[in-house]
Amino acid sequence: MAGRRPAPAALLLLLLLAATVAPLSAVSPVSDAHRSAAAELFAPSADGSFGDLEKTYEAVRTFQILGLEKYKSLTGKACKFAAEKLASPASSAAKDLFHAVRISGVLGCSVDAGVYDGVVARLNAVIKDTNSLLEFYYSVGGLLSIKEQGHNAALSDPESTFHAIKALSQSDGRWRYDTNSAESSTFAAGIALEALAGVVSLADAEVDPSMIGVVKNDIVKLFDTIKSYDDGTFYFDEKHVDATEYKGPITTSASVVRGVSSFASVTSGKLNIPGEKILGLAKFFLGIGLPGSAKDCFNQIESLSFLENNRVLVPLILSLPSKVFSLTSKDQLKVEVTTVFGSASPPLKVNLVRVLGSDSKVITSDNKELRFDLENNVHYLDIAPLKIDIGKYSVVFEILLQEREHETVYATGGRSTENVFITGPIKVDKGEIGISDNDAGAVESVQKLDLLKDTRVSLSANHLQKLRLSFQLTTPLGHTFKPHQVFLKLKHQSKVEHLFVVPGSARQFKIVLDFLGLVEKFYYLSGRYDLELAVGDAAMENSFLRALGQLELDLPEAPEKAPRPPAQAVDPFSKFGPKAEISHIFRAPEKRPPKELSLAFTILTLLPSIGFLIGLMRLGVNVKNFPSLPGPAAFASLFHAGIGAVLLLYVLFWVKLDLFTTLKYLGFLAVFLVFVGHRTLSYLSSASTKQKTA
Amino acid sequence: MVAPRHLAALLLLLLAVATVAGEDEGPRGRRLLVLLDDLSVRSSHSAFFGSLQARGFDLDFRLADDPKLSLHRYGQYLYDGLVLFAPSTPRFGGSVDQNAVLEFIDAGHDMILAADSTASDLIRGIATECGVDFDEDQEAMVIDHINYAVMDVEGDHTLIAGDDLIQSDVILGSKKIEAPILFRGIGHAANPSNGLVLKVLSASPSAYSANPKTKLGSPPSLTGSAISLVSVMQARNNARVLISGSLDLFSNRFLKSGVQKVGSKTRHERAGNEQFVTETSKWVFHMRGHLKAVSVKHHKVGETNEPGMYRINDDLEYSVEIYEWSGTSWKPYVADDVQVQFYMMSPYVLKTLSTDKKGLYSTSFKVPDVYGVFQFKVEYQRLGYTCLSFTKQIPVRPYRHNEYERFIASAYPYYTASFSTMGAFFMFSFVYLYHK
Repeated sequence: MAGRRPAPAALLLLLLLAATVAPLSAVSPVSDAHRSAAAELFAPSADGSFGDLEKTYEAVRTFQILGLEKYKSLTGKACKFAAEKLASPASSAAKDLFHAVRISGVLGCSVDAGVYDGVVARLNAVIKDTNSLLEFYYSVGGLLSIKEQGHNAALSDPESTFHAIKALSQSDGRWRYDTNSAESSTFAAGIALEALAGVVSLADAEVDPSMIGVVKNDIVKLFDTIKSYDDGTFYFDEKHVDATEYKGPITTSASVVRGVSSFASVTSGKLNIPGEKILGLAKFFLGIGLPGSAKDCFNQIESLSFLENNRVLVPLILSLPSKVFSLTSKDQLKVEVTTVFGSASPPLKVNLVRVLGSDSKVITSDNKELRFDLENNVHYLDIAPLKIDIGKYSVVFEILLQEREHETVYATGGRSTENVFITGPIKVDKGEIGISDNDAGAVESVQKLDLLKDTRVSLSANHLQKLRLSFQLTTPLGHTFKPHQVFLKLKHQSKVEHLFVVPGSARQFKIVLDFLGLVEKFYYLSGRYDLELAVGDAAMENSFLRALGQLELDLPEAPEKAPRPPAQAVDPFSKFGPKAEISHIFRAPEKRPPKELSLAFTILTLLPSIGFLIGLMRLGVNVKNFPSLPGPAAFASLFHAGIGAVLLLYVLFWVKLDLFTTLKYLGFLAVFLVFVGHRTLSYLSSASTKQKTA
Repeated sequence: MVAPRHLAALLLLLLAVATVAGEDEGPRGRRLLVLLDDLSVRSSHSAFFGSLQARGFDLDFRLADDPKLSLHRYGQYLYDGLVLFAPSTPRFGGSVDQNAVLEFIDAGHDMILAADSTASDLIRGIATECGVDFDEDQEAMVIDHINYAVMDVEGDHTLIAGDDLIQSDVILGSKKIEAPILFRGIGHAANPSNGLVLKVLSASPSAYSANPKTKLGSPPSLTGSAISLVSVMQARNNARVLISGSLDLFSNRFLKSGVQKVGSKTRHERAGNEQFVTETSKWVFHMRGHLKAVSVKHHKVGETNEPGMYRINDDLEYSVEIYEWSGTSWKPYVADDVQVQFYMMSPYVLKTLSTDKKGLYSTSFKVPDVYGVFQFKVEYQRLGYTCLSFTKQIPVRPYRHNEYERFIASAYPYYTASFSTMGAFFMFSFVYLYHK
């Protein structure tokens, strides 16, 4: 918001803003990290190519700017790739020719003059027919590249081409892609400016200066649409985010930077663009840090190279190689002022204007000039004489160019604020821990604590007593130091933790835990507590987390309505382990007597029937009453055979048959037996009646 | 009534298995919606997005307040996963809101959510619903004065070098992450009552969550290793959610930067972030740790056909094939802790299956001497793996009347007694009828 106003007051406001708002990212010039990132992003595929012509151009151009030796080895393959396209200019699109010519230009491929003549004719033909901005851009760009390679590349009618491109401009500094489209675009503005710059340098005669003036005016208007972050970063983005045409801020800003700096380099006179915006754009591209994609990398590196050499204003970047200064190692406050690619700045002075404390309190406002180390190109200042204690500070630097005429060439941004940390060791001493009685206040047992190493004190207390802990922290300059983190942690064995901030006074840090007031907070949990003391601060080099020892706490029984301790998270591993195996316990088979015993009893059970047989023999039984007549004899035989069959059926029932088959057979046999039995018995009874009557 | 429904379900299951086997398709689709609150995130985090695209995901980048935003159309979800890199968005555009995101997860989809110190109530709300509570202090960041990453340009110790990782090959990949992981953002706590959340990257005991710019008055709500920096949640429907308190964790800057932990001599050329985000995103989008079970079989020992019913005391064999999705194909899953239960109200038999290392798990056991309707039940829940749970019902009957033992030696005296009586009766019938 503030950044849009180009007034110096706004600049100051911006600096103040930057002092309070932490920068999004540290800005430092292009370094070797960029080179290795670029080499990684533009890794050629297995066959050594980068894909299409555009990607190949981006790769070789990035390598060229970064001075990577790698691109030399690619020359043969890429040149051949470009030459294939150039060989048949009539059938190729202007875009392909444009990229192919530029690849040849970057790599210095040897291309026949005849081939280029054909390309020039083709591009001129395209310019004549088209009304599309991109076609103009590709054709003019192609011609310009051919001209730069030392060939004759005349633009047939520069004046009308210039007008045709200018006709696409809009009143707000944006451009349209062609005469039919109503949508204007910032990206197109950059393309158009680059194309116009190409037309101007291709033209033999001077282009109408009034037209140049109009375009310059457009550029100023275009810079009015620039967007900004709070930290002084400026970038271009499309006004209307349309999914198909949207390029993203990096591509859009890169296009504008390319266009504006190309245009500025071919026209005479200054462009009226505020230095802070140029610097802001440089900060934007550097703020990307290491780019993630090849396209971003190309845009970042090429834009920065245009900014490095532009004729409007060359941004100078003030960067601190380190923002953390240690008092122990007597670090020097080092400041580098370089161009975006890290090359040396013109002679200038860097002053330390002010040092502000974390609460914006002015620590020192003496203007100190930093000394210059010519060898390493670093401005430096010893910290020790400044008498600054450890802590976090905002340091305001001022860049003063030594030569007056440089002020129209370089954009320095005037004053810039950097947040720095000054760190040092903190002296920890007078550590004491003890238990005191509540009423008397008399300390029973005070133990000295050496907080430089883990200690194992063992204390015990009940709810009527107090725990006291005190210690002192002093900075190297002898002041009391108040770190951000001074925690006393009591950890019960059931993993319930209690944290206390140890309050610091002017003299010492002291905490008194009155357990009577804390029983509720401690959930009435008696038992062993582990004591831990954590002291840490960003400026403290010896931050520590010490185990102090144990406290055996004896608290009263919890009343019924006492709060329950919070649930503790369970170990995830215990939840997922395999379960214990379960195997079924089968019913035990019934106990049986040994087989021999059963057999012996079997024989025993046979004895009565043997006795029965012997008895019958001794009685002298006979079967003389058996019917002698054939009819009754047959029935009697059948009757006994039937009884025998029934008995046999019983044996079979035991051996193999089941109940149903047995009953079935038994049914038949029973009917049969009733019939033959009746005949036999009635015969026998009639025979015996006859005998009795006889 | 029941049988045809079972048959239909079985047919459907078979059909599903057949299609999976036929096309060798993964368990999840590849359409991801990436919601950003600033399109510059697309380029500042492009390495992470690039690694997703290289793995075949189809990313759809949208601004979180895009008015045309929609997760589903005509009842069908348009995406299979969500990458929510829009920490400061107060509300989503279009038809998407907190409930829509939660329903998306309830429908079994995955999500990566990254917040930072600008996290809005919406993002915090979604995280809370996933069992993760971000520090309520809006200004708080995780600070660690003992385990920070040394950076010349960073002095406030909010750049954490985290190395307290969960011990799980399935979530973090089999290759150990050597370098510490750079983290700058807000801490959260996993809700102890939620058993589905796991802390993947925890803070060290000396960390605390507070506003680095102001003095501390009261103790911070989150301290020590209770702070989780990155958590994952696997829901009961196997939807996976990763929640990170740092959006920068995924950024190119952290992925490409070197790291040196304070007090440590070794400087790592690359922070562990690249490996960490690649491996965890593989896990979240089901390129690892997704199990499927096929061809569940059981039969009597010595037979091959599956019976309709077992008799008590039968010996049976049970086998199942388990495969894990590797991102490109189903690979045999090898473990030694897959267990089967023979279950009726409670497990009667619980046995660990033995594996042939080619995905086949089998075991054999004797059917208990209790009859009723049993189930073969596999409930496989392992850290990081999707939950496998399938049952197969089978009745168990007692012996039939003729299946008992017929000739018991100890009963011979009784038999002999009866039969000798019968023989004597036979003889006696002659004597009684025909004696003279």
